[in-house]
Amino acid sequence: MILLRRYGTLLALALIVLVFTIASPNAFGSMSNLVNITQQMALLAIVAIGATLVMVLGEFDLSVSAVVSWAGIAAAALFAAGIAVPVVMIVVLASAVAMGAISGFLVARYKVPSFIATLAFGTVIGGLTFWVSNGATMFSGIPAGFRDLGRGTLAGVPVPTLWLIGVAVIFWLLLDQTEFGRRLYAIGGNREAARLVGLPVRRDMVVAFALCAALAGLAGLLLTARLGSAHPTGGGGYLLQAYAAVFLGMTAFREGEPSIPGTLVGAAIIAVVSNGLTILGVPSFLQDLLTGAIILAAVLVRNFGRDSD
Amino acid sequence: MTSDSFLALGGLVKHFGATKALDYADLALRAGSVHALVGENGAGKSTLIKTLSGLYQPDAGTIRLDGTEVTIDGPRAAEALGFRFIHQELNLVPHFDAVGNAWIGRRHPRRGPFIDRRAMRAKVADVAARIAPDLPLDKPAARLTPGQRQMAEIVRALMDPARLVVMDEPTSSLSEGEAERLHAIVRQLSAEGCAVLFISHRLDEVLDLCDSYTVLRNGRTVGAGRVADTSRAGLVAMMSGTAGVSPSALRPPQPQHPEEAFAESRLEGRTVDVQQKLPGTDALRPSRRPSGPPQDVAVGALPGQSKGRAEKPVLATDLAFGPGDSRFAFSARPGEIVGLYGLVGSGRSSLLKTIWGATPGRGLIAINGQVPGHGPAGRIAAGCAYVPEDRRREGLANALSIESNLSLAHLPDFRAFSPLPMPSRSKIRNFARATGARLRLVAGGLDHSPATLSGGNQQKLLFGRWLGRPIRILLVDEPTRGVDVGAKAEIHGEMRRIAADGAAILMATSDIEELLALSTRVLVLHAGRLVAELDGPSLTRAAVVAAAFGHAPDEQMPPSERSA
Repeated sequence: MILLRRYGTLLALALIVLVFTIASPNAFGSMSNLVNITQQMALLAIVAIGATLVMVLGEFDLSVSAVVSWAGIAAAALFAAGIAVPVVMIVVLASAVAMGAISGFLVARYKVPSFIATLAFGTVIGGLTFWVSNGATMFSGIPAGFRDLGRGTLAGVPVPTLWLIGVAVIFWLLLDQTEFGRRLYAIGGNREAARLVGLPVRRDMVVAFALCAALAGLAGLLLTARLGSAHPTGGGGYLLQAYAAVFLGMTAFREGEPSIPGTLVGAAIIAVVSNGLTILGVPSFLQDLLTGAIILAAVLVRNFGRDSD
Repeated sequence: MTSDSFLALGGLVKHFGATKALDYADLALRAGSVHALVGENGAGKSTLIKTLSGLYQPDAGTIRLDGTEVTIDGPRAAEALGFRFIHQELNLVPHFDAVGNAWIGRRHPRRGPFIDRRAMRAKVADVAARIAPDLPLDKPAARLTPGQRQMAEIVRALMDPARLVVMDEPTSSLSEGEAERLHAIVRQLSAEGCAVLFISHRLDEVLDLCDSYTVLRNGRTVGAGRVADTSRAGLVAMMSGTAGVSPSALRPPQPQHPEEAFAESRLEGRTVDVQQKLPGTDALRPSRRPSGPPQDVAVGALPGQSKGRAEKPVLATDLAFGPGDSRFAFSARPGEIVGLYGLVGSGRSSLLKTIWGATPGRGLIAINGQVPGHGPAGRIAAGCAYVPEDRRREGLANALSIESNLSLAHLPDFRAFSPLPMPSRSKIRNFARATGARLRLVAGGLDHSPATLSGGNQQKLLFGRWLGRPIRILLVDEPTRGVDVGAKAEIHGEMRRIAADGAAILMATSDIEELLALSTRVLVLHAGRLVAELDGPSLTRAAVVAAAFGHAPDEQMPPSERSA
């Protein structure tokens, strides 16, 4: 039982992979499909890693999907105006950082509940995105060089997977191995105590929200690169899935704290279930149903374990 | 003793896994008596009460009420038997007033389909008039003082006739005056024939208030009888298990390796505490001063005016603090322990927070003659340290490990490679081990949550986090609230050591024995104003209490106040 509680989520991932491999050894279990799954989960996982930072603080950022959409539209609009790729990327990421910093500032300085602050500010960003795009899909003028950042392979590895590996390593180091990461966990654990021992609580919170939005912005850029177009609600699906990944990840390792490895496991479960069920030809409503059931089961198993303590 | 008792618990046993929380505990209560239940933290008092309230079912043993054996299978059953519980953490709905709180969980009186507020209030006013006529009935609980909240709890407990009221450390967060008020209520209850089971770490209070006592140690009843037949020393000896043994014989072996200190079980840890306990309790006499630098501040001296002193003040403040244009001006020298006393609400905690930079204030603060940087971080850089009042709310992050909590305040000290802000786990662990050994921390493991520690050990953590670097000034708010006798003595010893190492300590406490035992000088606040500064022969219990209640004789007033 202790084993199940500690590693239940990891076991579940292994079990799900096993079941799909048995059910469809050639299509699901093939190496190329498994590599493909890492590509499919890449954008979700990048958004979820950003959400993890904010969850470590004990806060939510509900504006991530709005930032994903914004980044795609803003990039497409700038490309349409003929601006060079590096400049576009820097400008778009900077705008995302600014948006996150504003949310973080509202939460840290004015103590607006993050749930409300980011919901409201996300709505503002959504409005901005519609304004810029006129509510239409934008696809003109996106350079091929930019598109290659979100598609194809490098040394046999899909490019989005490489982005994910890079982001995951950097943010794992940041959260697990640096003073900043330790401070975030301390602030999430007891904000008043963190303040009273002199930690820069406000600054760290603003930085965490800004980093979360930066990753959402990066995901938006990669999404546009992959699709070759940008839709004003293109990021809509990422919000709930990202938090589902973080919550699943919190059940994956001890202490039940959000962590980067946990979030990767969570994102992998979501991606594997979706991929496997699609291959098996299961209708998509059943996929949602199953994903939801898995999240509930993971949380319940952990809480049952806690009660018996 | 059991012949005339209405309630008798016999041979109660309760296991939690391998731990025996209760190990043949007995308790007998006479109707209308005030009975003290004492013991160190972890002795089994809470488990015993939870058994009585039906939250725990004993593994063995009997509970007899009026001679018949009863089973208490839940809080409702305990309620039906006439048992009432006032828990250490009060359970009031903050935005309900005393009336609303008193009716929670009861069938509200109705007029037609609606709640009859007038009848509700009348009933509560009736109960309050008997025991706490001065309790404001219409103020939300959040705006009541801690003492008033306690009264509201008691009123709620007595809405139906009660035979037994259990109070778990009711005075630990009350000031002297509020505690006196509570004592009067306890006596009143007793006079009405309701027994009171009174749990307290304040032994003077026990000796003063209670008729009879039961002492628990390691889950077992080790002593019981009439308070009149025992003494403070007798109770301490029973609690710590040192009766008839000289303290020096109990000196524990010094652990060779710090790990061994942590490997020791909780029970062993408690006996380790003993060695420092007796000196600590002896020191609770105002006449015995801790050795330290000579008293060097004349009564009423202004900061910076005491000329010809060997040591300059390490801390000097002149703050706009308190009502109107009153100020808080004082200074402290290395090696001093300055006590800060006042009733709850007198501004002690907010004063410390202002000096710490955690709440904004106006005025001057100088540390070693220099104005420190902004906020707590600036104070830390100047060599200041702070131990907050409420360890759970303001001190510890329970989601983090013990060692993470210890390292939080000065993370940059633990870098593996100093230009990179990446802490080294082994450096943090070494610091945590050394600190744990110095403070005799009893913990299952350094990677456990601080929530697994006893209150005393949690409190030690709050001191321990500052021990990595030199402390010039230590601000302490309630050093030992809710801490057992052994850990209290150890914390007092640590504070004296920190002072002897050259720090000035400013200590706010509502425990007057602690104040008198530790302080070389005492500042008394009343309603936000500094009303007295006492030291040397003027520092007596009576003078402190008088000043705190606002009856300070004129000559004790600092000149700045006198001229105002």
